[in-house]
Amino acid sequence: MKCAPFDYVRAATVDDVVTALADADGDGKILAGGQSLVPILALRMARPAVLVDVNRIPGLGGVRPDGAGDGAAVHVGALTRHSALAAQSHHPLLAEAARWIGHTAIRSRGTAGGSIAHADPSAELPVVAVGTGAVVTVSGPGRNRSVSADELFAGALMTSLGEDEMIIGIRFPVPQRWGFAEFARRHGDFALVTAVVAEIGGTVRIALGGVGSVPVRAAAGEQVLATGGTAAEAAAAASAELRPTADMHGSAPFRQAIAAEMIRRALAQARIDR
Amino acid sequence: MKGSVMKGSLGTSVRRKEDQRLVTGHGRYVGDLQLPRMRHVAFQRSPHGHARITGVNAVAALAAGHRVFTGADFAHVVLRAQSALPSYVETDQPVLAHEKVRFAGEPVAAVVAADRYRAEDGLELVEVDYEPLPSTVCAWDPPRESLHAGAPDNVLLERTFDAGSVDDAFAAAAVVVERELVTNRHAGNPMECRVGAALWNASDRKLTFWSGTQVPHIVRNMIAELLDLPEGSVRVIAPDVGGGFGVKAVLYPEDVALCMIAMRMPGTPVKWVEDRVEHLAAATHARDHRYLIKAGFAPDGALMALQADVTCNVGAYSVYPWTAGLEPLMAGGLLSGPYRLDNYRCTVRGVATNTAPSGPYRGVARPASVFAMESVLDAGARELGLSGVEIRRRNLIRPQDIPYKMPSRLVDDSGHYDECLTKALDLLGYDEIRAEQERRRSAGPSGAGEPPIGIGFACYNELTGLGRAASAGPRMPFRTGHDACTVRVNPDGRVTVFSGVTSQGQGLETTMAQIVADGLGVGYDDVEVRTGDTDESLWGFGAFSSRQAVIGGGAAHRTATAVQEKVLALAAGLLEANPADLRIEHGQIGVVGEPKPRISLAEVARVAYLESNRLPEGIEPGLEATRFYDPIRGAFAAGAQVAAIEVHRATGELRILKYVCVEDAGHVMHPQIVDGQIAGSIAQGIGGALYEHLVYDDDGNLSTGTLLDYLMPTSAEVPDLVIGHVSHPAANPLGVRGVGEGGTLGPNAVLAGAVADALGIEITTLPITPATVWTELQ
Ligand SMILES: Cc1cc2nc3c(=O)[nH]c(=O)nc-3n(C[C@H](O)[C@H](O)[C@H](O)COP(=O)(O)OP(=O)(O)OC[C@H]3O[C@@H](n4cnc5c(N)ncnc54)[C@H](O)[C@@H]3O)c2cc1C
Repeated sequence: MKCAPFDYVRAATVDDVVTALADADGDGKILAGGQSLVPILALRMARPAVLVDVNRIPGLGGVRPDGAGDGAAVHVGALTRHSALAAQSHHPLLAEAARWIGHTAIRSRGTAGGSIAHADPSAELPVVAVGTGAVVTVSGPGRNRSVSADELFAGALMTSLGEDEMIIGIRFPVPQRWGFAEFARRHGDFALVTAVVAEIGGTVRIALGGVGSVPVRAAAGEQVLATGGTAAEAAAAASAELRPTADMHGSAPFRQAIAAEMIRRALAQARIDR
Repeated sequence: MKGSVMKGSLGTSVRRKEDQRLVTGHGRYVGDLQLPRMRHVAFQRSPHGHARITGVNAVAALAAGHRVFTGADFAHVVLRAQSALPSYVETDQPVLAHEKVRFAGEPVAAVVAADRYRAEDGLELVEVDYEPLPSTVCAWDPPRESLHAGAPDNVLLERTFDAGSVDDAFAAAAVVVERELVTNRHAGNPMECRVGAALWNASDRKLTFWSGTQVPHIVRNMIAELLDLPEGSVRVIAPDVGGGFGVKAVLYPEDVALCMIAMRMPGTPVKWVEDRVEHLAAATHARDHRYLIKAGFAPDGALMALQADVTCNVGAYSVYPWTAGLEPLMAGGLLSGPYRLDNYRCTVRGVATNTAPSGPYRGVARPASVFAMESVLDAGARELGLSGVEIRRRNLIRPQDIPYKMPSRLVDDSGHYDECLTKALDLLGYDEIRAEQERRRSAGPSGAGEPPIGIGFACYNELTGLGRAASAGPRMPFRTGHDACTVRVNPDGRVTVFSGVTSQGQGLETTMAQIVADGLGVGYDDVEVRTGDTDESLWGFGAFSSRQAVIGGGAAHRTATAVQEKVLALAAGLLEANPADLRIEHGQIGVVGEPKPRISLAEVARVAYLESNRLPEGIEPGLEATRFYDPIRGAFAAGAQVAAIEVHRATGELRILKYVCVEDAGHVMHPQIVDGQIAGSIAQGIGGALYEHLVYDDDGNLSTGTLLDYLMPTSAEVPDLVIGHVSHPAANPLGVRGVGEGGTLGPNAVLAGAVADALGIEITTLPITPATVWTELQ
């Protein structure tokens, strides 16, 4: 369990990163908090030729409010550590979600950009990103672009990022009401199911993690709520349309049942429990 | 015995001697060992559960400058665990597999390089060709292809226990319950994985093996025998060891490989530090059992007959040196536990499969067998309309039954089970919790409101400190009933103890120092304890079977007493007094009845070593003694655990509201250490009951190969524990009973029983996960 040899580049600027990745010709990897990448390297499941360490780039960490009123949002720098997300008060839903990530040591190192880029379908931040309609700012050769969370997540551990692109920040809209519920086997584990409820601009959005290859919106559940249905009905409708796969931790029907219960809990926390 | 045993430091939680270094990060583990010219070893491991090896090609690795060893290099050595039991089939475990691999993770080649990274680079250059064979991973499925030529049906051992007239008793029983129960494969998983470093000094033909082992003397003995070296030329050193739990009481092929590699590379120390992936795949597993069990009860709940067919998955090889009989015999020998029983028939067998070998793990087999026994008691109680408490009280071995010969012929010397259970129920607040359970039940329909509450129970007898006549094990060519201890008073009057015990965190340095301090009559701070080095201590079998407090402690006490005798004889000569009139306390020797001491131990020691001119007639220089101790029989430690839980119907989540354990440790020598042992073992038991599960797919691949999937309990999953004691001293010099393992015996039974009590469903397969509970409820 030791990684294969690689070259190491310490980037001072985002431009350095983009250049180093382009030079690596598809064989480069960004190293942020290392909490997902390093175990994968150690198992030799990935063996990039070049690691580009982004930790020393100034100005990429931190959470700041961005917009007000109904359009309120926060901008989260790519290098913001999970522990800083948990400690901030501008976006209580994000703070709550960050507290559920791993353990203290992991939250002290792991970054928001890394979590989004890693695109684990059971991770907390991707679900919040989809649930709130977050927009990700990406820097690539000669240009910056924005991509919505929905479009970013392409599959389990896959994104639409180019090989020479870097996430530099994420803009998370601040919900008026929100709820977060997670079911995991142990404290700090990746979720079996995460449910995020966010009311943004009068619309209630429901997003789920752990039930497919990417975080999903529970369209049927949202529809039930939009047309005056109860929380229980919304949870049932959302769960019914899921097609989770069975694994060691339980059958597909079990995950559906857990999803319904987590949606119910998240709606109750958001006080959308009619 | 001079003075009272429990005076002085014994019985108090003196500051642990090892904590200064362990708690401040200054422990010295084998992993910390740095030697000049040290090289690092990595093992290539089988990716198949079962396969024929058709070719090994190390050319590329050699060309890259690595040292490479393959199965052929060490083919002349095999690990063959021996037992005198009639049906037993020996297995040949290779040092590095050649011919065949029998489990995924089995070592097939080793690469030696400047560091572990490069060694793993080298592994990628070693090509091994395999021809896959069908794997069998479940011990009660028909074998798809046998593992060993000597055992076509994969059965390595079978034995039947038979007592009384079981058929008649079943015919007369009012209620007969029958269950199929399956327990989950899991493992000890110490924080420090396995580790070893070996150095062959060619000039004096001596092998030094630093090993994170629980059993250094056994390792020395086995290495010397396997490698055909004089035993005195092998030195095994176990420095600080970060947990063992039985996993490190085994001699592994990797250990032997390291020593053999070292002998092929004279003067170059070679080190291997196992990582967690290797550990989960290739260190010993345990507790993969099936119980077909049947119990008959009289109308009043009396247990009339017990019959069982127990299959234990022993993995790919008969574990060295404990054999494939380890778990089956423990399961059959102790299945009836602390309950009176005359009519017993139980067939146990150990079956080889294409999985990692099973070995000793804290509580050997009994977390599973207690689960089986308590399950049929609960089932019987339900059918008879009795409470779980009533049926247990009706059957527990009582003080007046002692000595009680169990149907397996083991002799129970305790009998204090009801006292443990009663105290546990008090500590739980049994009546209040029953009332709350009832309130919730009547408050509303299922699903709504507060989750249902359940209470579970387990009573058990932990067989500790086994002497030569109490062997419950597989009749191996050695008997582990004794340990030695050497106590040396140094010329300055301070004391060095060379004890045969070993410590993996249990605080044995402290315990041995307490025993010697009190036994000799010196201050605790004046005693230093050395363990783990076979060149220093004479003999000790090491840590397993909750034996060290009883046996190593007994040896320490006997030796301290012997040294005290010499001290007093010498002092008597110097003082011209009668030794019988002298006593020693805190290193000061005085005449009984006089307020002031006459002479210090330091002065006596000075005479013993430096001033032979003052030595009394007939007394040799020096102040040292070595003694052995063997308790001949064992000491049973009674225990009871009870817990209250609540379960959420919507998710199957289980929350422990209160968990209580009461055990009889006899004389408690160090309350904090004893409670620590009990708490730690319950935590491991909870892990096994709720989380830990090693799962193989049908091809013999381990699906739970990292700690992402193999779930260990963390401090968040282990509730605050309520620990109580009863104290009935055992018949050994210190009056102690072992406490190392008992805690693991309860949680399976307690938590499964509690779920059944809460929801009216029966748990027949472990672990108890949210998914199993939820599925059972649908
Ligand atoms: C024991 C353990 C438990 C954990 N539990 C959880 C949990 O419960 N929930 C959870 O969500 N996570 C969990 N994690 C993962 C943790 O949250 C990681 O921090 C996170 O997934 C990745 O962030 P990182 O900064 O560590 O990224 P890294 O590990 O450094 O990188 C991860 C991937 O993202 C890429 N990357 C990193 N930054 C960028 C960027 N700015 N732009 C583009 N690509 C980038 C890397 O190249 C790599 O492919 C756990 C980790 C561990 C070790």
